[in-house]
Amino acid sequence: MSLYQVEGLGVGVVDRSLVHDVSFALEPGECVALIGESGSGKTLTGFAPFGLVDGVRLTGSVRLSGQELIGTTEVKLRETRARDVGFAFQQPLTALTAHRTVAQHLVESGAAHDRQVLRALLADVGLMGDGLADVLRRYPHQLSGGQRQRVMIACAIARAPKLLIADEPTSALDAESRAGVRALLRRLRKTRNLGVLLVSHDLAEVAQDADQVVVLHQGRAVETGPTRDVIARPQSVYARALLGVGGAESALPIRREGGTAKLRRERRNTHTPLLSAHDLHVSYRQPGWRGHRLKAVDHVSLEITQGEAVALVGASGSGKSTLARAIARLGPCDSGKVLWRGELLPPRHKLRTSQRQHIQPVFQDPVASLDPRWRVCDVVAEPLRAFAPDLTTAERDARVLAALEAVELGPDYTERRPQTLSGGQAQRVALARALVSNPEMLMLDEATSALDALTARAIVALFMRLRTERGLAILMITHDEPLARSLCNRIIRLEAGRIISTDS
Amino acid sequence: MRAAAILAVILIAAVIGPWFLPWRFDAIDWSAVRAAPFSGSHILGTDSVGRDQLARLLTGTRVSLGIAGAAALVALIIGTFWGAVAGWCGGWIDAAMMRLVDALYALPFMFVVILLMVVFGRSILLVFLGIGAVEWLTTARVVRAQVMALKVRPFILASEAAGASAPQIVARHVLPNIFGVILAYLLITIPQVVMVESFLSFLGLGVQEPLTSLGLLVKEGVDDMDIAPLALILPCGVLMMLLICLTLLGERLRGRLSA
Repeated sequence: MSLYQVEGLGVGVVDRSLVHDVSFALEPGECVALIGESGSGKTLTGFAPFGLVDGVRLTGSVRLSGQELIGTTEVKLRETRARDVGFAFQQPLTALTAHRTVAQHLVESGAAHDRQVLRALLADVGLMGDGLADVLRRYPHQLSGGQRQRVMIACAIARAPKLLIADEPTSALDAESRAGVRALLRRLRKTRNLGVLLVSHDLAEVAQDADQVVVLHQGRAVETGPTRDVIARPQSVYARALLGVGGAESALPIRREGGTAKLRRERRNTHTPLLSAHDLHVSYRQPGWRGHRLKAVDHVSLEITQGEAVALVGASGSGKSTLARAIARLGPCDSGKVLWRGELLPPRHKLRTSQRQHIQPVFQDPVASLDPRWRVCDVVAEPLRAFAPDLTTAERDARVLAALEAVELGPDYTERRPQTLSGGQAQRVALARALVSNPEMLMLDEATSALDALTARAIVALFMRLRTERGLAILMITHDEPLARSLCNRIIRLEAGRIISTDS
Repeated sequence: MRAAAILAVILIAAVIGPWFLPWRFDAIDWSAVRAAPFSGSHILGTDSVGRDQLARLLTGTRVSLGIAGAAALVALIIGTFWGAVAGWCGGWIDAAMMRLVDALYALPFMFVVILLMVVFGRSILLVFLGIGAVEWLTTARVVRAQVMALKVRPFILASEAAGASAPQIVARHVLPNIFGVILAYLLITIPQVVMVESFLSFLGLGVQEPLTSLGLLVKEGVDDMDIAPLALILPCGVLMMLLICLTLLGERLRGRLSA
């Protein structure tokens, strides 16, 4: 008998089925990974059988140590959650309660209120040692991301469950803590004979840690089997595509040399640049009484010629978003000039509608950048209402359909609402909105970083195609250097609000 | 759902009920002063001057609800406008507008309403203007917080990039997205206003005879409590049901929207 056996699991909401017919089995000490892109139903498959997702209908059979979970009472489920299963979530900061100490968290999770027991538990998750003597008394904000995740795992195993369900436990962490947390999970599996159900989109992690993998695509298990077999010989088209995106560089559609050289020649032929920014300076007032000002962008100048793609690269907090927004006149700007074809662009609140049209943005979070109450056709038509108010309804509809077609969405999307779109579809809609008024430049603010690898690749391919077809200039903000290299002519690196190097 | 059903019954009875009764709320039946319930055509009897109690109860409910609805609506419009402008503009405009709200909050508002009555005389219009002018403060705070939370969402910035002006963004994106919250607060404000109106009428500062309201009926009921207990129990019961149903509905709507 398996520790945890899922047979024909289906999860549905009122009128739609979200997960269909997923089956797998997990033995004690084993790790099974659920893998797939965002919206594939992997988190639902992991959490719904334990009653942690409201308002869903469950079908099929899920047995934990032989005990059926589907159709059982809430009281029984709560008992199971308390005793037999532990949960670890993606965001350890939000999953821990801000005003409670580590010790309080552990006691709440069922650990005995005894210093020795609590210390042993923390030692088990690698939270004992130098400089950690007072860790029981610390609050979540006094811990690093990796330490928080360890505390959460300690909470999860406080009652010595047989199964741990970990939802992307490492994806919010930096590389070093990520390796630490993964080693911890491996050790717990061995020492405690703990079964781990890992929800992940990170193939490299899964390939090393999981004994079995279930590849989910649009709520279906397109592939199930031992990790080695699935990775070596993927059977389904989707799994093959997912495996093909190992490194961002190899996956990207266009190699640097050809396109860049041509564009560089074009750049020499142009006289006035499309856009030039001189001596931009942006600072924020720090909170507090008489708070001094924090320099976000420190006297930066740059030029962009027609059809050129420029990447702003830098760590978070380097001022790249602030700079791009100051240039696009969508954010604050203390001093400096921005010229569009030699004509001065006034600051944000004095910009005329016709000047707004030149630079159109696409933001990081695709769903949040669409008004949840609007239909897709209204979202895409919004710029036309301002920039081309003379259009008749028929003309406007035609432009909207053309823009949607340009981003490879059919006319059947016009009536949909943002919540019903996947991340990739929503980002295409946002791009259609940016393109509908025929701008000459796009500002892409981390436009692919909220998407999973497959979707991001498709969106990048779309940017490339649009850029060559329409001769669009692109100002791209990213922390992904390989991506910037493959897509852009020039890479500008920022640090602490200053340009530290420019590559072309 | 039960709350909605009870509320619907009370509303329908109050709005169309009086037309089906043989007596008007201010008609005096000289032949039946202080009549007991179920005597002749007076189902709930008559009061000390021979007016039909059922007609007065229904009319009183109608008046109370009418004043409450109108006052809550006034509060809502002022509060939404004030909160939206403060939340959207931010900076010193926000600070100035919200300090005014704080100052008004600090006033003992019952005192303000009573003062208005004394200065301008007693009239229904003043009752609801006075109440509405005070109740908008909470709405303004709630709307401001909602607007500030929405203002930083990317779709608002995207709309600015799409060439929409500030008033257009507020009208098209911000207000529709907080409409649900506003509606929930309308439902929570109405019972508060019913309460205030009844209290003022009970004190004799609100609705004036021969027109009536729930508060006035309770007051008359208290006078005759020992001989006609039903005259006190019924208006109190209707008042209680109204408050419970409206509050439940408002809370449920708010819960659903914030979930």
